[in-house]
Amino acid sequence: MPVIEYSGARVNVDDEGYIVNFEDWNGDVACALAEKEGVEELTKEHIDILKFIREYYRAHHFFPVLNAICKNVHQPKNCVNEKFMDPLVAWKIAGLPAPDDLIINLLKYGQSPG
Amino acid sequence: MAKDQTPKADELFSTIDYKAPEKSWMDTPVEFKPGTFCHGSRPKYLELLHMPYPKEWKPGEEDWKLPENWKEIFLDGMAERLKKYRSFKLFMDICVRCGACADKCHFYIGGGDPKNMPVLRAELLRSVYRKYFTTSGKLFGKTAGARELTVDVLRELWYYAYQCTECRRCSVFCPYGIDTAEVTIIARELLNLLGLNTDWIAGPVSNCYMKGNHLGLEPHTFKSSIEFFLSDIEDITGIKIEPTFNRKGAEILFVTPSGDVFADPGTYTAMGYLMLFHELGLDYTWSTYASEGGNFGFFTSNETAKRLHYKIYAEAKRLGVKWILGGECGHMWRLIHQYLNTWHGPADFLEVPKSPITDTAFENARSTKMVHVAEFTADLIRNGKLKLDPGRNDDIKLTWHDSCNTSRGMGILEEPRYVAKSVCNHFYEMPENTIKEYTFCCGSGTGLNAGENMELRMRGGFPRANAVKFVRDVHGVNTLGNICAIDRAALTASMDYWVPGIRVAGLHELVANALVMKGEKERTVNMRNEPLPGKEAKE
Repeated sequence: MPVIEYSGARVNVDDEGYIVNFEDWNGDVACALAEKEGVEELTKEHIDILKFIREYYRAHHFFPVLNAICKNVHQPKNCVNEKFMDPLVAWKIAGLPAPDDLIINLLKYGQSPG
Repeated sequence: MAKDQTPKADELFSTIDYKAPEKSWMDTPVEFKPGTFCHGSRPKYLELLHMPYPKEWKPGEEDWKLPENWKEIFLDGMAERLKKYRSFKLFMDICVRCGACADKCHFYIGGGDPKNMPVLRAELLRSVYRKYFTTSGKLFGKTAGARELTVDVLRELWYYAYQCTECRRCSVFCPYGIDTAEVTIIARELLNLLGLNTDWIAGPVSNCYMKGNHLGLEPHTFKSSIEFFLSDIEDITGIKIEPTFNRKGAEILFVTPSGDVFADPGTYTAMGYLMLFHELGLDYTWSTYASEGGNFGFFTSNETAKRLHYKIYAEAKRLGVKWILGGECGHMWRLIHQYLNTWHGPADFLEVPKSPITDTAFENARSTKMVHVAEFTADLIRNGKLKLDPGRNDDIKLTWHDSCNTSRGMGILEEPRYVAKSVCNHFYEMPENTIKEYTFCCGSGTGLNAGENMELRMRGGFPRANAVKFVRDVHGVNTLGNICAIDRAALTASMDYWVPGIRVAGLHELVANALVMKGEKERTVNMRNEPLPGKEAKE
């Protein structure tokens, strides 16, 4: 199984780089994932977004409404796109499980099934 | 939104070529071009739905892992459906290949592939029908337009069955009234007998089957999304709204596509529903079980569609409501309007819908007991029940996209226009042959609005975008209104691609902007939290 490393942290990921165990995530893992995704530096703003996404996912098994993320972490509208290029990148760096087509189309392409 | 491998708009436009191939269509093999088809359905979804032959497969690869007796399954399925659906039998027999439909399909216009002429797309299946179900085809074969069902033919059928959005524009022009959508529907059913669906369709169908909506939102998640909107509404209007969920004894059950509770710009439309119903003091409830108006089951088989569809009525019965109000959705309405009675019979346990605000009885919904929110709101405005300030939408120059299913499918043409013109001062129609019953599809309906087939979608979206470009250039139009959740998502992508700068909005987003609510604070921003016209300085 592929492994990514950062500052001594090692975590298992799948073939597409999504972490395998949700609970393996921490700040260092996030940095490792971010590096892979081309997000150069994780600031406090980034981390706040990621933590909110994770907490929401833990409770709701889904990604939060985009505007709700920004509002809850007190950042400008479109904060997710501005900080992470697209919400699917945020999904990955937040350590959520490998998404299916539905999530990819929803988050990367803005498409919803009905 | 259209990105990745999709060519840029001008490059794509330059590749539209209507020149016919050198060989006849039967001798021109199908080519699976990247960007024009979706991923194959994953087994877990089909297993959950108890659909046949679940497997890992990739449409672009040669081996489709077909069962040994695939041909027998397909032809038996065809025989069964020829017997069951008179429409299918009729449409297999009567086409005279006059070509009236040939240049009416958005995929043909935007792509130039002759097999996307509706006549020829249907001919792909008709040729098989002739071979196995007609005497002339059995005796004379190719001369009689018949051909063997081979793996290559099956692959071709699949490729083009998922390049038809069942929009039925072609049927408007057919002198015989052949509904090519019905042919596509059966073609997809037959392919589903072999486990050949797409992931983007099968995933939402299994979600809907298990959790009540395509997105797979669990009850508390569905509620949580709406609570986010309530928070935004309170910020914008100063009004606190407290809708109810799964409430027994409510007068009305409200059902809308789940896309509206998650994806922009549908979310602004959902906020519009919440504000309107609050302002009216409507005795209504949301449901976290019947939490989907759309029905991707319709893009797999009639049987699957039927299974998903009835939960709306089962929930209405469980909650004891009098009637159902439905949100801005496309194919949801086609199913309600054209299929409900055949599948389940009239919903006689409900009452004929009657607006509690105007006392208008919606006789048109006598059988289905379900009223479209555009009709409901048009009636409110007609009876002077809403206080509206259309000036709040003065930054909007609106044109109207008729969604295929609600316009061609059930004749909702004037109600949304009446509402739109009541809440927007600047309204301009696109050319006549592109609106109302002649409307062009968004290019992404029937479960084709995925990410991996973006080139196909942009080609299919071209005719609609071209008409929007016309009114943009002539009238300065900047907003494309509609009453369909897939339109809101799909047109956003195709406008970004072909006509950048055009915004896509649902009808009730525009209503919400204009709605003057009792006790509201001074409104300074629209539903998107952008300054209202004349309020820019205060931001």
